[in-house]
Amino acid sequence: MASQGMHSPVEQFEITPLIELSFGGYDISFTNSSLFMLLSIVVSGVFLIMAMRRGELVPGRMQGAAEMMYEFVADMVRSNVGSEGRAYFPFIFTLFVFLLFGNMLGLIPYSYTFTSQIVVTFFMAAFVFVGVTIIALFKHGMHFFSFFVPAGAPKVLIPFLIVIEVISYFVRPVSLSVRLFANMLAGHTMLKVFAGLAVMISGAGGLAIAGSLLPFLALIGLTGLEVLVAALQAYVFTILTCMYLNDALHLH
Amino acid sequence: MDCKMETDMSKNGMVSYLMLVTVTCYGLVCKSGLAFADGASEPGLPQLDVSTWPSQIFWLVVIFGVGYLMMAKIITPKIGNVLEDRRIRLDNDLGKAREATAEAAKIRAEYEADLEAARNDAAAFARRATAEAAKTAASVEQKASKKLASRIATAEKKLAATKAEAMENLNIVAAEAALDAVKELTGLKATKIQAEKTVKAAAAAMFPQEIN
Repeated sequence: MASQGMHSPVEQFEITPLIELSFGGYDISFTNSSLFMLLSIVVSGVFLIMAMRRGELVPGRMQGAAEMMYEFVADMVRSNVGSEGRAYFPFIFTLFVFLLFGNMLGLIPYSYTFTSQIVVTFFMAAFVFVGVTIIALFKHGMHFFSFFVPAGAPKVLIPFLIVIEVISYFVRPVSLSVRLFANMLAGHTMLKVFAGLAVMISGAGGLAIAGSLLPFLALIGLTGLEVLVAALQAYVFTILTCMYLNDALHLH
Repeated sequence: MDCKMETDMSKNGMVSYLMLVTVTCYGLVCKSGLAFADGASEPGLPQLDVSTWPSQIFWLVVIFGVGYLMMAKIITPKIGNVLEDRRIRLDNDLGKAREATAEAAKIRAEYEADLEAARNDAAAFARRATAEAAKTAASVEQKASKKLASRIATAEKKLAATKAEAMENLNIVAAEAALDAVKELTGLKATKIQAEKTVKAAAAAMFPQEIN
C-alpha cells in the first residue's frame, strides 16, 4: 500500500514529540500520546466539574450523567470489593474515567489513542499488580502466601496447583495490559484498513466509487463496534482491578 | 500512575512506599526497554519502539497523578456530597411521609370508632323507640277493643229487645187478624187469649229460632 502512496495502518500509532524534553539522559518529550492523556483528564475533569457545579437536588442531564458514572464505579467497588474498598474508590474512579475518556477521545478522527500503547497499559497494569500485592502483604503478612494454595485440594495435587496459581498470579498484569492494548490496536488498525480501502477504491474513479460504498458502510458499523469496545475495555480493566483488590483484601 | 492507594494503616507511610515502588517500576521498565532497543533496530509496530517508553511512562505518571488528585480531592467528594445530601433529604421526606401516614391512619381509626359508637347509639335508640311505640299501640288497641266490645254487646242487647218487642206486636196483630178471619169465615167467636196462644204456637213452629 505504501507504494501506492497509502499510509500504513499502524502509522497512526506513531509517537511524535510535541515538546522536546530530556531528563537524566532519558527522553521525556511531551508527545501526542501525552497530549491525549492530558486531554482525557482535562476533558473528564471539566465535564465532571461543570456537571456538578450546582449540585442540584434534582439533577439535570449533565449532572445525571456525572452521577451515573460515579454510581456505576461506586457499585462496582461495593459489589466486588466491599466496604473496605471505599479507600480505593477515588483511584478506581480515576482509572475508569481516564481509560473511558482516553478510549473515546481516541475514536475521534485525527486524534491519538494512548491506550493502544502497550507501555502505557502495561505500566498501569503493573502498578495495579504491585499495588494490590503490597496491600495484601501489608494486610495479611506471611498469611498472604496461602493465597496460592487452593482450599480443599487433594494433597498430592497441591505442589502442581501452587505452581499454576503462582503463574496465573504473575500473568495478571500481562493479561490485564495486553487485553486493553490488543483491543485498541486491532480496532484502530481495522478502522484504518477499511477507511484506506474505501479511499483507494474510490480513487480508481468511475463505477469504482460505488464499489467503495461497501468498505465505507463496514467502516460505519465498525465505528459503532469500536465505541462499544472503548467503553467495555475501560470497564473490564476497572472491574479486574477491583477483583484483584478484593483478592488482596480478602484473600480467598 | 500515582501512588495514592491508601489503606487504613499509616497513610503517609503507605503513600511514600508506593511512591518508591512506582519509581522503581519506572526505572526497571525504562532500563529494560532501552536495553531491548539496542538489539532491535527497527520494530514493525510503533508501540515497540522503546525509545518512546520513558516519555510515555513519565507523562502517564504525572498526568494520572494530577488527575487522581483532582478526582480524589475535588470531584468525587463533590459528587458524593450531592448524592449523600439527596439520600438524607429523601430519607427525611420519607420519614415525614411515614409519620403523616401513621397519623392519618390513627385519625381514621378514631373516626371509625366514633362512627361505630354513633351507629350503635342510633340503633339502640331506634330499638327502644320501636318497643315503646309497640307497647303504646298495644295498650291503645286493647282499650279500644274493650270499649268496642262493650258497645257491641249493648247494641246487640238492644237489638234483641227491639226484635222481641216487634215479634210480640206482630203476634198481637196476627192474633187480631186471625180472630177477624175466624169470625168472617166461620161466624164462631174465639177469645183473644185463645187466638194469641195459637199464633204464638204457630210462629214457634215456623221460626223456632226467633222466639228466644
